[in-house]
Amino acid sequence: MTLDQIAEAPTSGVRNDGSEVTVRLRVNGRDHRVTVDPRTSLLDLLREHLALTGAKKGCDHGQCGACTVHLDGRRVVSCLTPAVQASERQVTTIEGLASSDGRLHPMQQAFIDHDALQCGYCTPGQIMSAVACVQEGHADSIERIREYMSGNLCRCGAYVGIVAAIQDAAAKMRRA
Amino acid sequence: MSEMPFPDTPRVDAYDKVCGKPIFAADDARSGLLHAAFAVSTVAKGHITSLDTTAALTVRGVRLVLTHENIGEVKPRGFIMGGGYGFQSFQPMLSPAIAYRGQPIALVAADTLEAAMEAASRIEATYEQQPFSVTLDAEGTETINQADTPLKNFIPEIVVGDAEQAFATASVKIDEVYNCPVQHQNPIELIATVAAWDGDRLRIHEGTQNAEAIRHGVATALGLAPEKIEVISSFAGGGFGQKNSLQTQTVLVAIAARRTGQPVKLVVPRTGVFHDASFRPATRHRVRLGADKAGKIVAGVHEIDAQTSRHDLFPGEYAATSSRLYGFASFRGVERLVRTDVQTPGYMRAPFEHPACYAMESAIDELAYALGQDPVELRLANDTSVDSPTGLPLSSRHVAACLRRGAERFGWAQRSMAPQSMHGEDGSQIGWGVALGAYPGIMVPAIAHLKVADDGNVTISVGGHEMGQGIRTALANAVSRKLDVPLEKVSVVIGDTRVAPQHLTAGSWGTASAIPAAEDACDAMLKALADLSRTGVRGSPAEILKAAGRQSLEVEVQRKAPGQPDAIFERLRAGLPSIGGPVYGSYVTFSYIAHFVEVRVEPGTRRIRVPRVVSVADCGRVISPRTAASQVRGGVVWGIGAALREASEVDARYGGFLNADLAEYVLPVNADIGSIDVEFIDEPDKTFNSAGAKGLGEVAMTGAAAAIANAVFHATGRRVRNLPIRIEHLL
Ligand code: FES
Ligand code: FES
Repeated sequence: MTLDQIAEAPTSGVRNDGSEVTVRLRVNGRDHRVTVDPRTSLLDLLREHLALTGAKKGCDHGQCGACTVHLDGRRVVSCLTPAVQASERQVTTIEGLASSDGRLHPMQQAFIDHDALQCGYCTPGQIMSAVACVQEGHADSIERIREYMSGNLCRCGAYVGIVAAIQDAAAKMRRA
Repeated sequence: MSEMPFPDTPRVDAYDKVCGKPIFAADDARSGLLHAAFAVSTVAKGHITSLDTTAALTVRGVRLVLTHENIGEVKPRGFIMGGGYGFQSFQPMLSPAIAYRGQPIALVAADTLEAAMEAASRIEATYEQQPFSVTLDAEGTETINQADTPLKNFIPEIVVGDAEQAFATASVKIDEVYNCPVQHQNPIELIATVAAWDGDRLRIHEGTQNAEAIRHGVATALGLAPEKIEVISSFAGGGFGQKNSLQTQTVLVAIAARRTGQPVKLVVPRTGVFHDASFRPATRHRVRLGADKAGKIVAGVHEIDAQTSRHDLFPGEYAATSSRLYGFASFRGVERLVRTDVQTPGYMRAPFEHPACYAMESAIDELAYALGQDPVELRLANDTSVDSPTGLPLSSRHVAACLRRGAERFGWAQRSMAPQSMHGEDGSQIGWGVALGAYPGIMVPAIAHLKVADDGNVTISVGGHEMGQGIRTALANAVSRKLDVPLEKVSVVIGDTRVAPQHLTAGSWGTASAIPAAEDACDAMLKALADLSRTGVRGSPAEILKAAGRQSLEVEVQRKAPGQPDAIFERLRAGLPSIGGPVYGSYVTFSYIAHFVEVRVEPGTRRIRVPRVVSVADCGRVISPRTAASQVRGGVVWGIGAALREASEVDARYGGFLNADLAEYVLPVNADIGSIDVEFIDEPDKTFNSAGAKGLGEVAMTGAAAAIANAVFHATGRRVRNLPIRIEHLL
């Protein structure tokens, strides 16, 4: 099913019996139709209903960035995004970043090369933010990278490596 | 070959981490899983007089509401520092008693998380309240001299000579009080448990630093044989001491899973992580230093008031490190504990050593200024090779090398001594500060199981938990080198009670304990392979196995800290802390670090920035250079947080903490961090263990806050003796 066809499907994002809604969305290039409690966040939809547990819950309040995913190509904190708001839209998560043949995205490789992680819990959110940071054009100086990556907390304190990884990957992404 | 430094290899679990593989406990998304949520106490002390769960039970999808009224029998599982397993002795929800605000009073399990949360919010409780005290100086607290309690048998008082007398007659004196606030560890991974029963067997997934304490603690609480319980914690999303024992939710989730007959997942919300798990207690430090006119320190007195709870004594071990920073001719440490109405405080990265080094290293800087001596020179002049409290030799101490290397890398020679004497082009005040840190060298027993197979695969299973410090990588490096097999052929199984006893991983003893055990296992394997290859076949383990017609070969070894009795392995198997050191009969071991910090205080706003830090560490042999450097950078980020950002605001009116989330409890963010330049002395300490490795994860943080505070003094002439230092202190 294409996104246009999904958009035409009448029930998406609509309450069924007053206690559940059906959300149709495309995640990492695959179409899904999920029936959830209308209060469900996009983060909980991904994690608990689609078993895409790469995006993490660190606060559930939009304060840590661990749940960052791309919604129609822009970074959002999925814990503060109601699942219904993602209806008819495209979501990319960390699981969808590598190419289908398993080759890592340059940002993933750069995080490995610069040891831009320790426990790894903030890492999926950092990487999704980092890719967006480059795409937004905010990776042109070290100061701007630091500023535009400050919505993603890393308690392990891997910030020096994260900045180095983004500088490295930004150059490769521009060439690609 | 093993005398060579280890190569810079990538973190072995980095690939899984950058791909978002489901490696953490809460990543369990199997169908049929119930979701749990807590209702919590809104009062600070007293007891529940009524609990109405009617409305909660009407929420669609609710399967269970568990309270003290229907929980059934649960046995006490003790306090980790008192022969038990819990971060505190008190288990909520076993009685109507309320010991602190935020304590769970009911657990709801439901088909969906949304239903569980709604139902929890509909639970109505009424309370009879009692007066409470939550700060060090509040009315109603009780102060206990630790030396008057049985704790003195485990934590010796530090007394060297007559420090009071030596201080009284010293020519130059410092006598100041330094305050450290309550802080919370806040690993980004929330505390989470998934419990599932299979008949009478229970499997628990939880991110922890102490899988064995969970296993034995739950077994004790539920009256089960420990053999019936498996605890799996292959990865923890940061621990920092908060996840070092049985938390309050684990037993409750296990009961909920048994009652409902379904697996149950509970993810404790961030506010719960503040209110129902351990934290760094508030401490007050009075430090007295006496020196002669030449700068020789003749007396040190360190008195500490540290917060504890009503129900437990969380021991203080602050002077055990401050007394080791220099060759003190005399020293006295006094540890006092102050009972308050909170959950029991506990371990947070460098739990005693960070506050102790902040206080002592601030006082040393004050002494340097009182003497008119360069702070690096004063430290070098008071260096020692003898452990002051015991008179024993130190197995290794490269403090002077750390100071000299750091000073050179930093460019310390360009510093002008006078406060307010250095300025940036934008008019900002520049300050350069230095401080030392130290952390005891501790080892614990470990049992290692090693298997090699004819396809070349090697599996090392040992006690240890990966929480980001890189122990998995260090183990893979050590085994790969010892057996001369490629790194990618080595699998490391840790944090799993099915494969080996999982002693608490904390206190920076992980590497010093697991690596020597793994290396012993490799030696045993090499010997077994040599026996197999007596026919003359040489080559890799796989080649030897193939030639001998064997599919695989396994060995198991056990290893304990120097001087520990064999009975220590029983404690290890029982999930009890089995800690050796830092005093080992004939010697004493500590790790050390020197931090050099530049701060800039902006004109106008008085905002404090930390553009660069140089840190040089003496942690013995560095087993995994890449992850070790990351560890030190992380420790420095923690130092910046402690010095300039982090404090949990205690609510003296209603109890609990006011800023119990990640927006208002201010952690360092990326924009707060400048360059952090790390160097290692990398001299193995073969007296301490065969691998020559000392601890690193915690020493990395010690002293960093003092170096920043000292730099702020140098920049501004203001000596701030309360952490964190904020703009308002510099106006
Ligand atoms: S979990 Fe969404 S921002 Fe923290
Ligand atoms: S790697 Fe642990 S929180 Fe960032």
